[in-house]
Amino acid sequence: MTDTLKSICDRCSHLSDPRLDFLPPEFALHREIILRDIRELIAAASAENEKTVVILAGCLIESVLYCFIQGQQEYISFRRGAPFQFNPDHTLENYVGVFNRYFREVVPDVVLPDVVVQYRNLVHINREINSPSGICTSASREILRILDALLGGMAKLSEPESDVESVGSC
Amino acid sequence: MPDLAELNLASRAGEARIRALLEDVVQEHVGVYPQNKLALAVWFGKSAGVTQNLLELFSGTVGDRFVETRFSLLWKTGSDSPPFVDIRAGSVRYFSEQLATNRAALGHFFEGSEVLYFDKTLLDAHILEQFKIRTEPAGLLKGWYVDQDHYSAVHSLRNVLSTYCVFKPQVGLVKTSPPTDFEKCIGIPHVEVGQRWLPLSSTGAKIHSFFNDFLDDKPGYFVFEGGSVYQLVGFEAITAPQYANLVLEPSRDDRYLEVHLRSVLPSERSAA
Repeated sequence: MTDTLKSICDRCSHLSDPRLDFLPPEFALHREIILRDIRELIAAASAENEKTVVILAGCLIESVLYCFIQGQQEYISFRRGAPFQFNPDHTLENYVGVFNRYFREVVPDVVLPDVVVQYRNLVHINREINSPSGICTSASREILRILDALLGGMAKLSEPESDVESVGSC
Repeated sequence: MPDLAELNLASRAGEARIRALLEDVVQEHVGVYPQNKLALAVWFGKSAGVTQNLLELFSGTVGDRFVETRFSLLWKTGSDSPPFVDIRAGSVRYFSEQLATNRAALGHFFEGSEVLYFDKTLLDAHILEQFKIRTEPAGLLKGWYVDQDHYSAVHSLRNVLSTYCVFKPQVGLVKTSPPTDFEKCIGIPHVEVGQRWLPLSSTGAKIHSFFNDFLDDKPGYFVFEGGSVYQLVGFEAITAPQYANLVLEPSRDDRYLEVHLRSVLPSERSAA
């Protein structure tokens, strides 16, 4: 691997300068937790701690989707033609599915691959044992980039001229 | 009197609402039985009537028959008013057996049907085919990306294959060039999204190690099921409307990312 985690992290502009405008004002605690986890993720990447990066980045992807989908219930309801009720107990797999289904058209650059869930699930030792050797090396690099792209997509959606904002306010 | 377009819109909105209500039911049934995972949910015999039909197949043993249940689709509100859903629940194994021996009895499940949920790891190819669930384009090669360091470390093709073949494939490739030159290969890289193999866009490629390793001048290898090994040579984004029929989801702007590969000869493999 040419890239160190630190060098990848340095190039992840949305990670180093996170804009969490997609969070509703009442999500102050959520914001605090996400910002804390991003700080810890950057520290782990700077120390080249691969496993920590995989787990923490996976946790952050889940946190971002958890908050984003919850804040977009009105838009999702509009798209599906029936009320959408956010379920806080659903899995990351479910959140990824909801995001890809309802937001792929508005942020086509951010399509979350199924591998995100596999990487996050490396928290379970049996998943790591049953993966190719060195999985954390490649997973840590990819999941950092995926998280950065997701945060970039969220920032784009929060811009005033965003399609989701206009539909969501209908 | 409303015009036809308005009627059509109203009907579409009604269908979307029913679909959403059925999806809520299905979502409740995902993971509800730890030993019997939901494998398939199909809305069949679709109509504008007050009763909708849902087929649910579960993994494991849940009896050799379909169990019928009926309730209001407004169950979340505590209402017992229309629309209603009639659910036929059975096992994947029972459905497969019936498909092989008594398909006519299952005919109604295929009429006016729409798949609302599936887990392809729990379904056999025959069921996927019968419900027209396509999870990969024709000719898709599936395999793994191996970076230079790991490729050098495993020493031989046999080791590479034995190391990776037990794991789930990570990358796919649909060849776009005719096989006139066996040393070169051009194709559309794919990744799995929602259990379906979809083409990777230029932007989507930026998160993947194989793309970044290439940019860092350390091109790695694609090892495909069956044993073919290719080294990355380059990427190119091209406009190619003719590729629409090669992929499950055509690009909206007809732009596709192509990867150029070089076949790794057996002599090189053993020397690696």
